[in-house]
Amino acid sequence: MVSDELKRVILNVLKLEAWEIADTTLAAEVPGWDSLSHINVVSAVERHFSVRFKNVEVLKLKNVGDLQRLVDSKLGKQP
Amino acid sequence: MKHNHAETGTIWHRWCENADKSPNAVAIVHWRAGQIPLRWTWGELVDTAKRYAAAAMSRGIKRGEVCGIISRHNPLFYPVYLGCVCAGAMPAVLAYQNPRLHPEKFREGLEGMGRRSGLDWILTERALESVLQPLLGNGRSTIKGLQFPFESNEYLAGVEFGSLGEAVSVMRASDPLLLQHSSGTTGLQKPVLLSHGTVLGHATQYAKFLAMSDADKIVSWLPLYHDMGLIAAFHLPLALGITTIQIDPFEWVVAPSLLLEAISAERATVTWLPNFAFSMMADKIKEEDLEGATLDSCRLLINCSEPVRPRDQEKFFQRFAPRGLKREALSSCYAMAETTFAVTQTPPGREPARLAVDPQLLSKGIASQVVNGGKAKICESSGELIPGCEIRIVDEESNDIEERRVGEVLIKTPWMFDGYRNYPEKTAAAIRDGWYMSGDYGFRSGNEIYIIGRKKDIVIVAGNNIYPEDVEAAINDLAGVIPGRTVAFGEEDIEFGSERLSVVVETPLTDQSEIKQLRTAILKAGMGIDVSITNVYLVPPRFLIKSSAGKPSRSANRDRVLRLNGSESTMQFGGVKDGLGRAEKSDPERVEA
Repeated sequence: MVSDELKRVILNVLKLEAWEIADTTLAAEVPGWDSLSHINVVSAVERHFSVRFKNVEVLKLKNVGDLQRLVDSKLGKQP
Repeated sequence: MKHNHAETGTIWHRWCENADKSPNAVAIVHWRAGQIPLRWTWGELVDTAKRYAAAAMSRGIKRGEVCGIISRHNPLFYPVYLGCVCAGAMPAVLAYQNPRLHPEKFREGLEGMGRRSGLDWILTERALESVLQPLLGNGRSTIKGLQFPFESNEYLAGVEFGSLGEAVSVMRASDPLLLQHSSGTTGLQKPVLLSHGTVLGHATQYAKFLAMSDADKIVSWLPLYHDMGLIAAFHLPLALGITTIQIDPFEWVVAPSLLLEAISAERATVTWLPNFAFSMMADKIKEEDLEGATLDSCRLLINCSEPVRPRDQEKFFQRFAPRGLKREALSSCYAMAETTFAVTQTPPGREPARLAVDPQLLSKGIASQVVNGGKAKICESSGELIPGCEIRIVDEESNDIEERRVGEVLIKTPWMFDGYRNYPEKTAAAIRDGWYMSGDYGFRSGNEIYIIGRKKDIVIVAGNNIYPEDVEAAINDLAGVIPGRTVAFGEEDIEFGSERLSVVVETPLTDQSEIKQLRTAILKAGMGIDVSITNVYLVPPRFLIKSSAGKPSRSANRDRVLRLNGSESTMQFGGVKDGLGRAEKSDPERVEA
């Protein structure tokens, strides 16, 4: 499940006040989250959670749930 | 003077010559993140292309027909494209369906394209079959069928080479080679038609200017539906018989260090990039993703396809100089599909010229050099004319104007396009007395050509053209929007190194929750036509300034909104900014998306 913290980071970087974000949400379904802004979202998530993603890890992300699981794995949280 | 096709031959024959001469040399490196690159040798590439040509012909594709090719980054794209050419058909590389675009909209775009510019076949991946199938037999589409060449075992099974020789023997340099569609969704796409001789002639002359040799390797992440990707980074190296390394655009935009990884691994020497890419790579690539990366093999990183911003080139240089980047490798180019590609280019071996000019005088159309350290705007030259190309800088009455005076850029080259296919009226409007009217503003200083703005309202976001009409039409019918009272324009984003798309929308709504809903609806409307609207300005009725034609003026309203928000106003040349005096009375609500 996508945490409120991750949602806030995403909405903040996209300058959105509110938007429904779930595990299955695709970037393309969120206003402003296009291929060009994707790197900004990823960088903001890295900064906020003090984690680092590898290129191949980012390229494998399919939806927000994948991003949440990647953050969790970096933070050593159990799935 | 139009190019003499007899001197050039055809693209297909050139590819065959390259394959005969160096069958084992690498023609294309298909780069994939985290995987071993796939290498097409010339021998394999041309042989496979012939098989695809034979298969395409046996499946009904005829000489002169337009084949839209829609695929993701696929190693079979190259022989499929070459095979279309071998069969005498015209490949038209089209963008893959973006997930944010509704399938119906995607189909509508293809239908519209087919009706006007002609689209006979679609060669695509099986994954798009269900999306594209409704295009067939619906009475509105010109598309005769879908073919799935990326299912190679099935597509190439039992191929007969029977009529291949005939298709090749009748091929002439003057034959149409390819069709390139500009972006746009409401029928504004302009299909640029280029012949074999035109593309080959341009490649030969441009490569000569760039001092290209067998030692060069091109690398590119650019999409092949874009002229810079298709002509500069694909056709040019294939015509010269040098290697091109092709990176997936979708992978690059997520992981921009891939370009540097490919340059380092393949010892690539030349690449073309839109300005935003210089900014993005300087700002976003993490140091840990650069392990082992070196740019010392690069002799040309050519900034093209959107206005060159010196600040971003400098930022890029400062970031990557410690990794072997040479200052003289930074380069600029002015190009467009209608002239095949390049018109001007920085000569290799030196940086682009820069001119510090008085910004106030520049806004009046005078490029006056600043001395003694006064306030200055730095303009970067797009280079010198490529031999054979001519440029005129003209005023509103089409009179030639003197050096360092800003006017519209008119162009004549030996490699002019053969018109917008099936759009005689648009072709006639674009060319006057043999001169292509670029719609760009610029000035000349000595041998250097500076491009500093544009007359047309097109918004260029990260090298992609967006027509404001498309965006305005998508918003116009939304509840809460006053019909016909929306204006879309480009807004400079210094950090991004490109423009962002902004809209000003008149609404009678005053309730805050309704305004929020409208704002969301506007963002969604943009997503529906596959554009990202960054800034939404909601304004009260009668805010927008009308042009003399009675329609809201994009440039005047852009100036007004930016001024009210404290941003830099756009420059206008030879005219007066109408209506600005009234702007201060009503404040727009700025809502940033």
